[in-house]
Amino acid sequence: MKILQNIGEYFILMGRTFSQPTKASLIRKQISFEMNSLGLGSMGIITIISAFMGAVITLQTASNIDSALIPDYTVGFTARQSMILEFSTTIIALILAGKVGSNIASEIGMMRVTEQIDALEIMGVNSASYLIVPKIIAAVIINPFLAIWSMFIGISGGYLIAEFSGVVTTDAFIEGVQLDFKMFSIYYALIKTAVFAFIITSIPAFYGYNVKGGALEVGVASTKGVVKSSIVILIANYVITQLLLI
Amino acid sequence: MIELKNISKSFNGKQILHGIDVVYEKGKTNLIIGASGSGKSVLTKCTVGLIEPDEGQVLYDGKDFTAMKLDDRKEVRKEIGMLFQGGALFDSLSVEENIKFPLRMHASMTEKEMQDRVNFCLSKVNMSGINDRFPAEISGGMQKRVGIARAISLNPSYLFCDEPNSGLDPSTSILIDNLIKELTEEFQITTVVVTHDMNSVMEIGDHVIFIHKGHKHWEGTKDTILKTTNKELSDLVFASDLMKKVRNLT
Repeated sequence: MKILQNIGEYFILMGRTFSQPTKASLIRKQISFEMNSLGLGSMGIITIISAFMGAVITLQTASNIDSALIPDYTVGFTARQSMILEFSTTIIALILAGKVGSNIASEIGMMRVTEQIDALEIMGVNSASYLIVPKIIAAVIINPFLAIWSMFIGISGGYLIAEFSGVVTTDAFIEGVQLDFKMFSIYYALIKTAVFAFIITSIPAFYGYNVKGGALEVGVASTKGVVKSSIVILIANYVITQLLLI
Repeated sequence: MIELKNISKSFNGKQILHGIDVVYEKGKTNLIIGASGSGKSVLTKCTVGLIEPDEGQVLYDGKDFTAMKLDDRKEVRKEIGMLFQGGALFDSLSVEENIKFPLRMHASMTEKEMQDRVNFCLSKVNMSGINDRFPAEISGGMQKRVGIARAISLNPSYLFCDEPNSGLDPSTSILIDNLIKELTEEFQITTVVVTHDMNSVMEIGDHVIFIHKGHKHWEGTKDTILKTTNKELSDLVFASDLMKKVRNLT
């Protein structure tokens, strides 16, 4: 029952968030701030994780190919498909749910307990719209770029490890990367990323916005925001894949 | 003038406010006093619409705030300034941007006009020259004063202060009290102050309401409070040795 109540409250909050927009000039300023904070602030961690993920996929695929019947370019092909379809979208989304999600839940939660949200309401501002909309819009815009960046870095990581470790020739790796490329894979990945961006921002914002109490409750809300958004990402991943790929 | 009629509120089956009727006069400092948990903050939140009362009406200059639609409430809220217990300044904004925030939201002003208004409000609270500092860089007392500057930036008709003296040293407390009093009289604001600080009552209590267990138990002024025979109020007012000595003197 508690789950149903939470889902209901989440949709009520989202309804309130999008029903009475705040002044466009203020939202615009906030969106650019959030794009910098949520997007560019995550570039470092995404670069490191993607490079190592690409490298590890390459090594694991190469080390698991025993049969001479399987061509060497399979390594590049697998690295590309894994990065585009799953790692640069879902895994990066899960990582961002931890980094960005906890940040959003604790920021909004602290604003709640220090009465800053009440202050916004007293000023006649739709606090939900002012605080949550810029974060959602910023993430939905910037996260697909982060996903593209992650794909590029991941495949580059695979290429570099192929070059330095010699598990597969770089020519074979490149051939695999180019083999049977379908543009729809990118569209699919970007659609997933945009949906995940909405989840990563809106669910932690919901938990932060509804905090009651003090610092301890803010911590709990932050954890809940990360856990719940991660679960919803995995469910959404399954649903989107079923709808778009099968 | 703000009029509360029969305000009641319950949380999870527990009645917090029991049919409270009060009139807050214009140009006066109206104080709500009571022990912790007596319901004075809930009453104030019901008055400004942060909490919906279960029963009763809140009238702002005769207009029924409780029956208003959200858009109409926004119009009334432009007339309300509120100082929160902790200041509630926006951490990510400088002092100047905090004061400009309500102006950006509701006023049609040029940057220059907003700048002038910020400087005027800061000068009113004796805080000129701290425009570029952030809330984390100023003391609690300064935050309260900036909070007042933000609250008066839109020239409010109604000013609410939730425990403006909490966490402040005695001299800063008196400074804040006098500031509230001056602003109330100068701009003819209807001011409501929630407090349990007896010094504040004695300094600025034009009209005092005592809330006990969710009921309005007593109503009077800073002068009549010293002569009260109400037991619960006496227990609160004369809890300290200092106030007992004051009572003996009067």
